[in-house]
Amino acid sequence: MRYVGIAGVYAYRYTFGALFPATCKYHPSCSQYAIDALRQYGLVRGTILAGWRLLRCNPWSHGGLDKAEDQRLFR
Amino acid sequence: MIGFLSILTPIENVLTWALEGLHTTFGLTWAWSIVALTISVRMLLVPLTVRQIHSMQRMQQYLPEMKAIQKRYKNDRRKQNEELMKFYKEHQINPASSCLPILPQIPIFFALYFVLRDFDDEIYPLYPQSDLGWLGFVPDITANITSDWSGYVLLTVYVASQVASTWFMPTQSKGQRVIFLILPLVFAFFILDPPGGTVFPVGLLIYWMTTNLWTVGQGLVTRGLRQKTTPEPVKRSSRTPPKTERPEDVAPLEPDGAEPTPKAAGQPRKVKRKKKKGARR
Repeated sequence: MRYVGIAGVYAYRYTFGALFPATCKYHPSCSQYAIDALRQYGLVRGTILAGWRLLRCNPWSHGGLDKAEDQRLFR
Repeated sequence: MIGFLSILTPIENVLTWALEGLHTTFGLTWAWSIVALTISVRMLLVPLTVRQIHSMQRMQQYLPEMKAIQKRYKNDRRKQNEELMKFYKEHQINPASSCLPILPQIPIFFALYFVLRDFDDEIYPLYPQSDLGWLGFVPDITANITSDWSGYVLLTVYVASQVASTWFMPTQSKGQRVIFLILPLVFAFFILDPPGGTVFPVGLLIYWMTTNLWTVGQGLVTRGLRQKTTPEPVKRSSRTPPKTERPEDVAPLEPDGAEPTPKAAGQPRKVKRKKKKGARR
């Protein structure tokens, strides 16, 4: 099931993601984070983690190193 | 997919309302209404741009140190990126770019696509004999891009504007930049020969072109602003811990006279980090 989500992220990467230059202020980038999160935590929790990450990737945050396995939302 | 499309309906309604409003109250043609709509949306985003200018100025203060990190890890791009991100966090640098502002553009793009695709059936009958052309050489902005030679002209302008706007955005590496210069071309070929007989209305190109040209214009203005303003050393000293780093703080100007170097580039970073942590807590 999680591979549906991962496929979705790749679909984004090769369509809309391709239209914009890499803009992420985090490492790994939001799309990579989404792929990692989906792979490690499954479709539902992975999607929530990716969504939360996208919200954090706003002009007011500081960015930086932020890996999916370091998340603190789910234990 | 159906769920996604139903999310678009309110956006479609707002876009239709805005286009009709611009058309009736300001007497703009449909094409110019799209341009005006795009520009208004981008104007709403200007505060974000102002923030970006500030963060870019701040980033320039740390340029020597960031270059040193890049040099140290030049063979390992991953490591280089990670170290750079750590550096941002330590020094509270807010990188100019972020993902969130891009996302709203995707539903807007799709919604505009549907609005323009159904324009002939849903909006045009309400305004018979209104002008669907643009600049005297585009006959119909709701028609497929490939239906008239003007579509190819606009497609060329679109690719050029896309490439130009890429130039003004911060990118991580040269390789990435090359990819982003090639991709608009791939996208153009996709528009020319869409799978399954999809229609790409000319109006969509107008939207995309306008937003790109705005990015370019904004980039030019920002570039001018960045060169004019020199960061004040007083501001910086309030953010860096006092005493330990004060001597380097009042650094001499660089040969070009633009930016004072905050710290010596060769200084080992680990020592500094410890100092910082100690000062913060």
